[in-house]
Amino acid sequence: MTTPAVRDLRFLDPGVIARLGTMELKARTVVEGFLSGLHRSPYKGFSVEFAEYRQYLPGDDLNTLDWKVYARTDRHYVKKFEEETNLECHLLLDQSASMAYRGAAPMSKLEYGSVLAASLAFLMNRQRDATGLITFDEQIRFRLPAAARPGHVHAILLALERIQAGLRSDVARPLHQLAEALLKRSLVVVISDLLDDPDPVIKGLRHLKFRGTDVVVFQLLDPNELTFPFKGAAKFTDIETSEEVLADPARSRTEYLRELARLTLRYDRELRGAGIDYVQIDTSQPLDFALLTYLSARSRRK
Amino acid sequence: MGLLYPAFLLAAVAIAIPIALHLLRRDVAPDVPFTAVRLLKRSPVDRSRRRRLRDLLLLAARVAALLLLALAFARPFVPGSGSAMMPLRVVAVDRSFSMGAPGQFERARALARAAVDEATFGERVAVVAFDDRAEVLAPPGSRQDARQAIDRLAVGHGGTRYAAALSKAAELATGGPVRLVLVTDLQRAGWEGESRVRLPSSIDVEIRDTGIAAANAAIVAARLTDGALVASIRNAAAAPRQGQIVLTHDGAEAARASYSLEPGASADVPLAWKASAGSIVLTIDDPDGFPADNARHLVVGPALTPEVLVVTSAEAPGFYLQRALHAAADSGEEALAARLVTPAEIAGGRAAAIQRHRAVVLLTTRSLDRTAREALTAFVTGGGGLMIAAAPDVEPDVIATMFGWSGSALSADGEPRRASLAATDIRHPIFRPFGALATNLGNVRFTRAWRVAPDGWHVAARFDDGAPALLERTHGEGRIVLFASDLDRRWNDFPLHPAFVPFVVEAVRHVAARAAEPDLFVVGRVPPGVGAEPGVHRLESGRLVAVNVDPRESSTAVLTAEEFAAMIEQVEASPLSRAAEAEQIESRQSLWQYGLLLMLAVLVVESFVGRGN
Repeated sequence: MTTPAVRDLRFLDPGVIARLGTMELKARTVVEGFLSGLHRSPYKGFSVEFAEYRQYLPGDDLNTLDWKVYARTDRHYVKKFEEETNLECHLLLDQSASMAYRGAAPMSKLEYGSVLAASLAFLMNRQRDATGLITFDEQIRFRLPAAARPGHVHAILLALERIQAGLRSDVARPLHQLAEALLKRSLVVVISDLLDDPDPVIKGLRHLKFRGTDVVVFQLLDPNELTFPFKGAAKFTDIETSEEVLADPARSRTEYLRELARLTLRYDRELRGAGIDYVQIDTSQPLDFALLTYLSARSRRK
Repeated sequence: MGLLYPAFLLAAVAIAIPIALHLLRRDVAPDVPFTAVRLLKRSPVDRSRRRRLRDLLLLAARVAALLLLALAFARPFVPGSGSAMMPLRVVAVDRSFSMGAPGQFERARALARAAVDEATFGERVAVVAFDDRAEVLAPPGSRQDARQAIDRLAVGHGGTRYAAALSKAAELATGGPVRLVLVTDLQRAGWEGESRVRLPSSIDVEIRDTGIAAANAAIVAARLTDGALVASIRNAAAAPRQGQIVLTHDGAEAARASYSLEPGASADVPLAWKASAGSIVLTIDDPDGFPADNARHLVVGPALTPEVLVVTSAEAPGFYLQRALHAAADSGEEALAARLVTPAEIAGGRAAAIQRHRAVVLLTTRSLDRTAREALTAFVTGGGGLMIAAAPDVEPDVIATMFGWSGSALSADGEPRRASLAATDIRHPIFRPFGALATNLGNVRFTRAWRVAPDGWHVAARFDDGAPALLERTHGEGRIVLFASDLDRRWNDFPLHPAFVPFVVEAVRHVAARAAEPDLFVVGRVPPGVGAEPGVHRLESGRLVAVNVDPRESSTAVLTAEEFAAMIEQVEASPLSRAAEAEQIESRQSLWQYGLLLMLAVLVVESFVGRGN
C-alpha cells in the first residue's frame, strides 16, 4: 500500500514544476500527481450524492460495491457519487512586492503561490466546486467571481499566468472587503507571506471567520526567510518599504529567528483559536502538503 | 639608508588604494534585498570592536605589503652606517717562500701581532695572507680573531705579488678609512711585471719590513742534454759559495756534482747521468737561504727514436720520400731517418714497434692486418703523427674505418684529370718555409687524386679546381696529415719538381712534431687537479708533471719603502665609482630580499586575518 509519505513526489517538486510551461500544465501536473498519490488513501471520494452505477472493474474499492444489486442481478456494480457542487471557494493570492522574493527556492513565493492557487482551482473545478480568484496587494487588483463552469478554471489559470508583483501588501483590507461581500458561506484560501503587521491580518481573518466562512491560510516563506542563512555584514533592504537595515547575520540570526518564531507562534495561536487553518509552507518543499491541508479543511465541511 | 633606484618609491603612492578603500568601504556592506526586514530591525546590529580592529589590521597589512614592495624595488642599502664606516685595519702578511729563511717568518708574525695590537678602540681588524694571491684569514672583526689568524699563518710556496694584497684590501674597504699594514720582506720581485696599482685614497698603506735573508742559493732551471743533465744555480749572496748538487732519480741518488759560484752569479752545473724515464729531484744544501728553492723537480719522458716509419709495398716503394728525407739529413738539419717497412713487417706481434717512432707515413694499406691498423690508430690517438699519401694502394674505406670517419668522406677519382696545386694557407707550418716560393707548387701536374669532404679538416692546399689537396686534422692527441695524391710519381710528377724535397721534409717534420705538452709548472699556475706544492704530480690522464717554485722569488733584491710607495697611485672615489660602490654595497646586503620576504609574511598574515570572519 502506498502512503503519501513515500509516494513519488517528483511531479510535486517545485524545481520540476517551475520548469513546466503553462499554468494549466503546472496545475494539471500537480493535481494529477497528487491524486495519483492519493490512490487508496483515506481521502476516498469527495461527495455524498449518488450519481450512477458502473460495472465493477478490478481495482475498484470494494466498499463502493452495491451488494443489493449483486443480490438481485448477480452482477457486480459499484456506486458512483455525484460530487458536491454547492461549495464556493475563494482563492486570495497576495501579489505584493514581497511575494516576488526568491531566495534559495526554485520559485519565487508568487510563482509558488500561483501554482498552488492554480492547483487548488484545478482540484476544486474537478470537484465541481465554484471557484473564484482574488489577487491583491494593498488593495484588490483582480477579482474573478466564483463559478463552477468547466471553462471557469481556464479563466483563473490565465489570470494566474499573467500575474505580476505589485506594491506593498495590506492583507487586512481585502479580507474585510471580501467578508462584507460574501453572501454565502464559503471556503476562503488565503495565500500570502503574511509579513505585514499581524494585528490587522488576524483581525481581517477573524472577520471572515465570523461571517461563517471557512478560512485556510497558507503562509509562504522562502527558505532564506526561514533560516536567514546570510554570511557577512550586509545592508538588508526591504523590497516593499525600501527600509534599510545594516546587520551582521552572524550576530542577528538568532534574534531574527526568534522574532520569526514569535510571529508564527502568534498566528498559529490566534488563528487556530479562531478556528482558522494556518499552514506555514517552505517554498522549496513540494506542494502536496498544502493540497492535503486544503482537502482536510474541505472534508471538515462535509 | 640609501636607495639604488629611488624612483620606484613613487609606486608607494599605491598605498592610497587600500586606504581609500578602507575609508570608503568602512561601513559599506553589500546590498541584499530582503522581505522580513521588519523582523530584522529589532536585531542588535553594530560593528564589533573586534571587527574594527580586524579591519585596521587588514589595512595595516595591505599598506605594509605595498610599501615593502615599493621599497624592495627601490633596492635599499645601508651605505656607511654602523660597522661599514668604522675604521678598518688590514694586516697583510707576506707568506711567499722568500719569507721561509730561518727566523724570518717568526719576525713577520711578531710584526703582524704588534700591528694588530696597535689597533685603536673601535677599529676593526682584518688579517690577509698573500703570496701570488691574497686570502682573507680573518674578516674585519675583533683583535682576538686577528691574533688567532696570525697564529695559524704558515709560509707557502708562492711568489710575492703585492698587487694581490692591495686589491684584497680595497675589496675589504667599505667606505670608511682603512689602514693597510703590509708585513713583508719588500722583495723587488713582487712588483715585477706589474703596472702601478690604483688604490682609493681612503686606504693608507704602511710597510713593516721584516728584512730579507742576506744569502740564498737556488736551482733556477734544469734541462736534459745529450748524456747529461744541466742545472742552473744562482748565488744571491755577497759571498762566493761552493757546494754539492745531488740528482735523485725515482727516489734513489743517481748523480752528484760540485759547484762553485761567485757572489751574485749564476752557473750551469752538468751532472753526468744517462737519461731514463722517471721523476728527478735536484737538491742543493742552503741552510741560510730560502728552503723552497733548494730543490727542483723534473719529469723525463720515455725515449723516442728519431725515425719515421714508412709503410710501403712493391707498388708504392717510397723511394722518393726516402731520398728526400735522406737529402735533408745530409744538409745538416735535424735528422729524420725513414725506416721503410712492408705491412707484413708490422703485422701481428710486431705492431707494437710502431709506438717507438716519431711519425708514420702510410703509402699503402694493402695487406695491413687488423693488429697493425689498431696499433696505428692507437699511435695517433696517443699523440703520434700520421701522414697519409693517397697512393693507388691506399684504400679510402680502410682509412675511414680506422679513424671512424664517414665512408663517403673519402673517395678516389674515377677518371684522370689535370690539376695543379695551390697553397691556400701559406702560414701553415708545412708551407711557411716556402715563403713566396710556394707558388712553384703550381707547376706540379696531377692526373689523379682523392676527393675529400673537407668537414672536420683544415685545408692547407687545394688543387686548382678547388678540391682539397693537403689536409690536416687532429685525432685524439695526435695529428693526421692527408696528401690527396701519391708521392711515388704515379698520379703526378711531383717528385721531379724541386719543391718536392722541402714539401716532404716539412710535412714529415710537421707530423713528427708531437704536440708539446708542458710537463713543468710553477706554483700558482698549476693545471687543475694538481696541488700547489712543489714536487712531481700525476694528472688525471696519468701524465706526470713537475711543479716548482717560481725562480723569480729566489732573488734577494729588495725595494725601498719609497720605491714601493711609488708603485701605488692613490685615487679619489669618483661619483661614478661611488654609484658603483653603492651598487656593490646593495648587492652585498641584498636588503630587498628581506623586504620581499617580509612582504610575503605580511600577506600571509593578511590572508589569515581576512579569512577569519
